[in-house]
Amino acid sequence: MSETPIITAREMGVVGCRGCTQVWPQGTQTCGRCGKRLQLRDHKSLQRVWAWWIVGMLCYIPANLYPMLRTRTLFTVQQDTIVGGAIELFTHGAPFVAAIILFASVVIPLGKFFAIAYLAVSVQRRSAASFEQRQLLYEVVEYIGRWSMIDIFVVAILSSLVQLRTLAAIDPGPASLFFALSVIFTMLSAQSFDSRMIWDVQSRDKGEAESGH
Amino acid sequence: MVTDAPEVTIEPRRKSVLSRVSFVWLIPIAALAIALGVAWDSYSSQGPLITLEFQNGAGITKDETVLKYRDITVGVVEDVGFSAGLSTVVVQVRLDKDVAPYVDSGANFWVVRPELTARGVSGLDTVLSGVFIEGVWDDVIGTTETRFMGLETPPLFRPSKPGLEIALRATANGQLTENAPIFFHGIEVGRVGKARISPVTNFAIAEAIIYEPHGRLINKSTRFWDTSGFSVNIGATGAEIDFTSLATLISGGISFDTVVSGGDRISDGEVFQIYEDEETARNSVFNASEVETLELSAIFEDNIAGLRVGADVELAGLKIGEVQSVSGVIDRATFGDSRVRLNAILSIQPARLGLEVQASPAAALNFMAGRVRDGLRARLASAGLLAGGLKVELVESGQPGALSIPDMTATIPQIPTAESQMGDAGASVEGVITRVSNLPIEELMASAIDFLNSAQDFVASDELRGVPEEAVGLLEDVRGLVGSDEVQNVPVLLAATLTRLEAVMAQLEEQQLVARLVGAVDAAAEAAAGVDSAVEGVPELVASLQGVAAKAEGLALEELVEEINLLAGNAARVIGTDAFNALPADLSAALGSLQATLSDVRDGGVIENANAALASARSAADAVADAADDLPALVTRMSGVLDQAARTIRGYDRGNELGRDVESALREIQEAARALASLAKTIERNPSALIRGR
Repeated sequence: MSETPIITAREMGVVGCRGCTQVWPQGTQTCGRCGKRLQLRDHKSLQRVWAWWIVGMLCYIPANLYPMLRTRTLFTVQQDTIVGGAIELFTHGAPFVAAIILFASVVIPLGKFFAIAYLAVSVQRRSAASFEQRQLLYEVVEYIGRWSMIDIFVVAILSSLVQLRTLAAIDPGPASLFFALSVIFTMLSAQSFDSRMIWDVQSRDKGEAESGH
Repeated sequence: MVTDAPEVTIEPRRKSVLSRVSFVWLIPIAALAIALGVAWDSYSSQGPLITLEFQNGAGITKDETVLKYRDITVGVVEDVGFSAGLSTVVVQVRLDKDVAPYVDSGANFWVVRPELTARGVSGLDTVLSGVFIEGVWDDVIGTTETRFMGLETPPLFRPSKPGLEIALRATANGQLTENAPIFFHGIEVGRVGKARISPVTNFAIAEAIIYEPHGRLINKSTRFWDTSGFSVNIGATGAEIDFTSLATLISGGISFDTVVSGGDRISDGEVFQIYEDEETARNSVFNASEVETLELSAIFEDNIAGLRVGADVELAGLKIGEVQSVSGVIDRATFGDSRVRLNAILSIQPARLGLEVQASPAAALNFMAGRVRDGLRARLASAGLLAGGLKVELVESGQPGALSIPDMTATIPQIPTAESQMGDAGASVEGVITRVSNLPIEELMASAIDFLNSAQDFVASDELRGVPEEAVGLLEDVRGLVGSDEVQNVPVLLAATLTRLEAVMAQLEEQQLVARLVGAVDAAAEAAAGVDSAVEGVPELVASLQGVAAKAEGLALEELVEEINLLAGNAARVIGTDAFNALPADLSAALGSLQATLSDVRDGGVIENANAALASARSAADAVADAADDLPALVTRMSGVLDQAARTIRGYDRGNELGRDVESALREIQEAARALASLAKTIERNPSALIRGR
């Protein structure tokens, strides 16, 4: 897979600061530049990943069961869950908007969950995917995380704009809170992941290959 | 792995289990705990699910429609569906836990919808918010119930509107409108609930509520009456239309008042009767109930049309009930043929029978059974000449019989019937008209004119007129005789004078003046008798006329004639006596008294006056004849003429006996005229009185 063997920092006897990326010799306790504690490997990383992942997943369930938006007009009160709203939009002839909502609120969060879970599992087991692909996946998950709040923004903006007293009002439903929590916990989960562990497997493979040879 | 092993194994030794486990795990544990806690809390705080069945589920929406108790939400509809067979709408409502124990078997539920009635708009808030289910239950925890039949309309008695709960029952003609207002002096103080037919008897009964604090207005002597609709009165002051309010005009209403004070306080459940109007209600305080009637069946053989529902049932002329229904009946088994007979159900008011003990139908039936055994029968009779309808009379037939109950299941006793009694003339309006047209008015008039003519002839006769002159002449002769010295000629002259006097008297007698007068009056009396047979109202007139005749018979003319006769007898006796020596003095006295009598007659001018009065009467009679078709005017004129006559008579010597008699006679005639006038007025006011004889 790799013509040029990648040499990890650990093999070179140095450790990188995760705060400011300054490289220090192994054994250094704190970063001389930013003062952060230096760790060769974060042994509790996976635990934290899974812990946050579970909380995020717990929050994602009510986020889909409860209504996201509560639209009150003069005569009616309409409450829609995420998926229910998307289906309603689709049946009312707006499949594009429905697709966007489904993509942003269902596909991406679920994708993040699966991606993080896959990464966490893959560092403990052998994976078919290459190290580079997994690294890319991790970076995508990290990058997308900040955009996952776009649903919450929409709800917040609508709620603050459409407050016409008795005529019409849009209020955030309980699902919006859970959705936001779910996004936050997912981001924390992704951040907790020590991406260096991806490469540890490579070095392990390498070691096995050497011992096997 | 091999190279890593030494490094990895060294460090964990120093670390405890706690330090190896990340504290972040606390967060999912806490999240789980919270989720479980919330789940448990919501589960444990969840009230029971109750099932309501409604006929009409319009507007009930899942998760939105709420259940309210005293306008506070105490539950939410969780599901809306149908019962098996789709007969009713089944609504599942999740109750709040704290009110759930109170929702027991006594709870009632109904759907509040906007309602627009004549009395106003209610439930308007549901127009915007959608319908809601309202529940009502008491404040006592009872046996738990989870399935309820929803009401279609709100119940009358609610804890939010406490009041006195009474029941109102209507008579056959009364009407009980659901939700109708109850007024007290025009102020709405209560409501009528749903009316239903009483299972025991045949009247409608409805629950009603008098809201607090008006319940104290009701006591045992309170009477309710119907103010539905409107009444139109056309009277001297013009036309009047009365109705309590627009609401009662459309949907009816009930008013009440406590007519006499001091009635006993009542409690919930008291039953009151609704009277058809205020007058009846007020009068009813002193009467017994008219609701529970005794029903009797009467099958009439006669095929006579005209018996209608509501026709009177009379006992001895007193209305004791009404005909409740009329139908045909064919009963081959009983009557032996298949002829259709008239079957009338009579509804008899026990209170009107005047039973002293108690006016219950059972008592009335007892009474009627006893009377029927003694021979009481029902028969059809004409209700009135102009009305043209029939009524049912209960009359004594003299034949005993029993009150029969042909069918025990029918439970309507049958009263035996008698043949109907209806005169040909009385049966129809034509008969009445025939009777009216047969009245001998023309003959009456002719008789009256004849009478007056006769009277005038008598008065104007030369013989009567000649009486005073002849008498005066006679007296002059007598005086000349008395004053003469030829005393020896006196007896001869006296005899001749007496002969002449006798001739005059004979002439008078020949004329049969009194007889003629009497005959004329008799003719009038006959005419009057003819009137009497025709018109019942005329007897006073007839009596008066007869009185006139009697007076006329008693006229002083007779006395005058007798007196003259007596005088003549006296004179004759004087002439015939032996005491002829005293002749001049006796003769002088006798002739003096004769002269006085005759001068009385002359001085009074009676004859002329009577003549004039009778002439006036005659012209009046002529006017009567001319204006025979204008009776009132005629009477007025006649009255005026007679007044004039009376004045004329009053004008001369009242001490005169003849004058007095004529005056009284004329007064009688005047009274007769007045009676005729009042009769005419009565007829004018109420033409049917003549026909009905009332």
